[in-house]
Amino acid sequence: MQKNIARLTAMLGLALLLVLVACGGPAPVEQPSQPEPTEEVPAVTEEAAPPTEEAPAGDEQFVFGMLLVGPYNDNGWSQAHYEAGLYLEEQLGAKMIYLDKVNPADRPGTTPDQLAEELVAQGAKLVIFNSDDMKDASTTFAKNNPDIYVIMASGDQVWPDGKAYEEIPNLINIMGRMEYGKMMAGCAAALSTKTGKIGYLGPLINDETRRLAASAYLGAKYCYEKAGNDPAALEFKVTWIGFWFNIPGVTLDPVQVSNDFYTTGYDVVISGIDNPVNLGEAAKLKAEGKEVSGVAYDYVAACEAAPDVCLGVPYFNWGPEYLKAISSAIDGSWESQFIWAGPDWTDINNLDTSSVGFVKGPALSEEASAMVDEFIAELAGGLNLWTGPINLQDGTAYLADGEVATDQQVWYLPQLLEGMEGLSAAE
Amino acid sequence: MNVELKNIHKHFGKTYANKGINLSIPSGTIQGILGENGAGKSTLMKILSGFIQADPGGEIILDGKPVVIHSPADAIHVGVGMLHQDPLDFPPMRVLDNFLLGRSGGLFPNRAAVAQDFRQLAGQFDFSLDPDNYVDSLTVGERQQLEIIRLLWLGARVLILDEPTTGISASQKTKLFATLKKLAEQGMTIIFVSHKLEDVENLCHQIVVLRAGELVGAAKPPYNTSNLVEMMFGKVVTLGERQPAKSGEVVLSLRDISLEDARLKIKGVNLDVRAGEVIGLAGLEGSGQGMFIRACAGLVRPVGGRILLKGKDLTGRSYHTFKREGVNFLPASRLEEGLVPGLSLTDHFVLAEEPKGIFIDRAAGQRLAEERIKAFNIRGTPLSTVESLSGGNQQRAELALLQSPLSLILLEHPTRGLDIESVIYIWSKLKDRCRQDHAAIIFISSDLEEILQYSDRVLVFFSGNVSEPIDAAATSVEQLGQLIGGKGWSGKRGSHA
Amino acid sequence: MLKGRLGGFLFQFIAFVLALGFVSLVLLAVGASPLEAYKNILTGSVGSTRKFAEVLVSFVPLLLVTAGLLITFSAGLWNIGVEGQIVLGAIATTWALRQFVDSAMPPALAIFLSILAGMAGGAVWASFAGMLKTFGGVNEIFGGLGLNFVSTALTLYLIFGPWKREGVASMSGTEPFPDAFSLPQLPDLRISPWALGIALAAVVVVYFILQGTYFGLRLKAVGRNIRAAYLLGIPTWQYSLYSFLICGALAGLAGAMQVTAVYHRLIPSISSGYGYLGLMVAMLINYQAVWAIPIALFFAALNIGSIQLPIVMKLDSSLSGVLQGALVLFVLLVEGARQKFVKKV
Repeated sequence: MQKNIARLTAMLGLALLLVLVACGGPAPVEQPSQPEPTEEVPAVTEEAAPPTEEAPAGDEQFVFGMLLVGPYNDNGWSQAHYEAGLYLEEQLGAKMIYLDKVNPADRPGTTPDQLAEELVAQGAKLVIFNSDDMKDASTTFAKNNPDIYVIMASGDQVWPDGKAYEEIPNLINIMGRMEYGKMMAGCAAALSTKTGKIGYLGPLINDETRRLAASAYLGAKYCYEKAGNDPAALEFKVTWIGFWFNIPGVTLDPVQVSNDFYTTGYDVVISGIDNPVNLGEAAKLKAEGKEVSGVAYDYVAACEAAPDVCLGVPYFNWGPEYLKAISSAIDGSWESQFIWAGPDWTDINNLDTSSVGFVKGPALSEEASAMVDEFIAELAGGLNLWTGPINLQDGTAYLADGEVATDQQVWYLPQLLEGMEGLSAAE
Repeated sequence: MNVELKNIHKHFGKTYANKGINLSIPSGTIQGILGENGAGKSTLMKILSGFIQADPGGEIILDGKPVVIHSPADAIHVGVGMLHQDPLDFPPMRVLDNFLLGRSGGLFPNRAAVAQDFRQLAGQFDFSLDPDNYVDSLTVGERQQLEIIRLLWLGARVLILDEPTTGISASQKTKLFATLKKLAEQGMTIIFVSHKLEDVENLCHQIVVLRAGELVGAAKPPYNTSNLVEMMFGKVVTLGERQPAKSGEVVLSLRDISLEDARLKIKGVNLDVRAGEVIGLAGLEGSGQGMFIRACAGLVRPVGGRILLKGKDLTGRSYHTFKREGVNFLPASRLEEGLVPGLSLTDHFVLAEEPKGIFIDRAAGQRLAEERIKAFNIRGTPLSTVESLSGGNQQRAELALLQSPLSLILLEHPTRGLDIESVIYIWSKLKDRCRQDHAAIIFISSDLEEILQYSDRVLVFFSGNVSEPIDAAATSVEQLGQLIGGKGWSGKRGSHA
Repeated sequence: MLKGRLGGFLFQFIAFVLALGFVSLVLLAVGASPLEAYKNILTGSVGSTRKFAEVLVSFVPLLLVTAGLLITFSAGLWNIGVEGQIVLGAIATTWALRQFVDSAMPPALAIFLSILAGMAGGAVWASFAGMLKTFGGVNEIFGGLGLNFVSTALTLYLIFGPWKREGVASMSGTEPFPDAFSLPQLPDLRISPWALGIALAAVVVVYFILQGTYFGLRLKAVGRNIRAAYLLGIPTWQYSLYSFLICGALAGLAGAMQVTAVYHRLIPSISSGYGYLGLMVAMLINYQAVWAIPIALFFAALNIGSIQLPIVMKLDSSLSGVLQGALVLFVLLVEGARQKFVKKV
């Protein structure tokens, strides 16, 4: 009897644990809770271009579906998409139906294409797949449902110049040119480092994360030199944690990695992962009197986690391109294409026009802030940092002197760049 | 301090651990409390020191005043401190910190002053304890010393020691006895609980004997050992009819076997057991007989010597090898070690048989179970789970599980807790098997009468010492009683070096 | 006997009602109608053949894992490492298929061999937990958890390292295998009858192992009293290890089904939490293999049916997890209460 009770108690404990594991799912996106973006976000300007055409006459409301890889309120990647969906509802009078946590861990036995069909069953005429995870599923779905429009965010399968091109007439790829945002991030970091050492908190290693880290480096080098320093003396180190967020036991702990950076002389750390844990760590060290700061990523209001140490945040704004694509679906001008949309250089933070933006943080000094603005203006004026001479990390020439990188050369960057420290490929 | 216990009762379920105990101990006395395992000694002491409460109706009177003791803290408050068989300490601590434990009041103890007290007390008894040492580096004897001065420092005026001489060295024992005598001279009341006759006789000013929860006698020096033994184990009963010793082939042969565990060492035992012979192992619980019988089963690996079964050297082999050679071991704790709760009798019989193919023939299993249930007179059905059976029926089930053919049956307390009918039945079955299979039996029992009744020869165990085999026909309960209490070993070969 | 069993059913039913009541309260607390939610779950899981086929897709690996866990449970082991064993099964299957895809081997044989490879992969991984337990004295729960982490890391490493696909290495997993290398599916439905058949066969085999064989009986003896089992002559540590191997092979088979019948490639979360879910099912059915099928089916239906909640009712779909968890907790609690009750009477 005694033994039975002990066993039952043990089972109850374990059951509780399992429930927590099962409900929490193995993909806990840790995000410090952040308030909704407020004054940090530039107001929508009056002269914003209105949608080219109104929704077609008739009483039928256009319904679009959205599959989000994480929770809709994750303060990060998925929330940015969700908010773009709300923006579409508002701009087009369309109706969104969405399903979040679309990943096999949270929804065992399902595939995104199957879930997209659920959305279609509820009336969706267009489905947005919001993550790289769903690339193959979006292809399958688009092929199986030729009369449904498909937007695949961050993929490249309908890029004729891409490496995995497929002709899928009802599919559009959309991605923002975050390279610019990362250059600005790098610039702000370079103008703020006192030690000349910048750390980059990388997720896993692939073409996308390499090109973003490299862009940050290019921006940093440029601004470091411009501020009168020797660009060769700038140290830029990338540490990959192994995933988009911390998975205990599997990835490196990003908090620990940030701490290692800050305590070994890297006084600025740029986040390349889903959540700005580097800011939290910086704030802690700053409270102890260390002069440190960091750059966040992904989410427009990310700085609010620790404003005192935040130099700024580059973010995605999916609304404008989604609006264009859906409008084209409604008015019949839809065309399968690969869209790699950059900032609106007249105002990179215009939420109606700019796909990529950069919000400066309170920790950026006035002087540096002016220089970042100047740098943005130069970029707007046509400055292209992806111009040779650029060597890859192992020393091989990538771009000859004066040669400008093609989109493919940027998109499929095979290694980090010369001068950057860190792994170029998974060991 | 004068201690008086009046009419102390304590029952657990239907059994009385203490029954109407009256005892008076004047100040300055060393009181011995004797009794075999389970006689109720520890229960009585736990009542006095607050670990358990007596049934209502009894009284504890200290220096003429009735006291109520609900907890060890209450006990020390009224001046009663108890040293346990395993001194209660907290190993990863320093000696001084351990010393400070249990002291009430004062969030921030004055360590320097306490260290001063500590040294003074230790010096008084000639204990060489370093207050900065860690407790886990101390020997059992040193921990005991620490515990004694801690209790004294806390204000104990009655000191209870439960089996204090187990696990300490001879010199530590000498020192302990000297200390206790000195404390008694200072007016301290000492209660010394032991089953070791010699220790009690050497130390105590007066002795009481407990048996089956009752106080059966008291004695003052000079002690008459055989009287004490008789009190401990009850009246001598005439032995039943004996069967003559057999002289079959040698089944088990132990050559210079040495065994060791954390507590005990057994050295150099030689023994030949012949087919048809029954060997009884006598001794108080934990004297080495358990380790010995498990070594015969291959469950404990000897540290030296060889074990031969029918001439075949099985030293160092596993129990399963022993089992294949015809050795079966039936442990004392039936539901913990012998049977599988949740499985039925049929399941057990099927498990004990050699598998025939992959699939179990349920019908055959059922038939087998019915046969055995009948043959062994088990009150249960083939589908009864073993835990639903009574103790006697569980024991019969275990016997029914004995394999065939057999050469050696090893049993721990085969009849413990069973009614007389079951005892007789089980022994008749065992003797039958013994005869049929030309097997030998070795068994442990705490019942000396059972040992004398059924054994041909007896080995007595006393803290790791093993006697030469004693012819059961030529000995008596008294003699065995003395031996298991550690007396009268000069004539017997002490195997302990 | 019959009375006891009926009593058991009664208590299970009470537990079910309590769990349902608890979840209804949660729903009411967030301002939703429990009835509507249950209706949506029901129609979302068995409302159409298609939906039911999807339930079966989720049911197949869950049933395989549960079947495997019945074996380790019988041996008294908490094989929490089952999650990693699914993963290794999937990895081994993917590895084998990668070898065969460009060879001249007929796809049917390639699939068969790859599934065997998956079973072997799961079994080997389970044997690590088993050996840590038997020879290293590491409790299987801790060993298993550690191995689960390693298996996740290994998957990510393979997807982003050696098995990276052409173009952008992607969370989407390795390059999908050609259709010929998938287990055939029913027309217009996602479920593969082969996968379903394999899973049902597995649970039947496990049922017979546990009910009718010497092996199963010995395993139970080891699980219920390892010391007595040893004294009865059963080689106990070997049996523990065998049970790990069998469970690992079945978990590996689940992983192989994930690769050959559902995802057609290796993806980062290929195990989909079926291991933990399977532990819940196994706990709920308390060693009884006959119950594995209905309960696993019920859990799978909850998984699929609850997809409707966020779409139709804008409710968080972790609700199905809450219901599953509540069910397990209440069944255990009620079982505890029953034991007390039975003892008193």
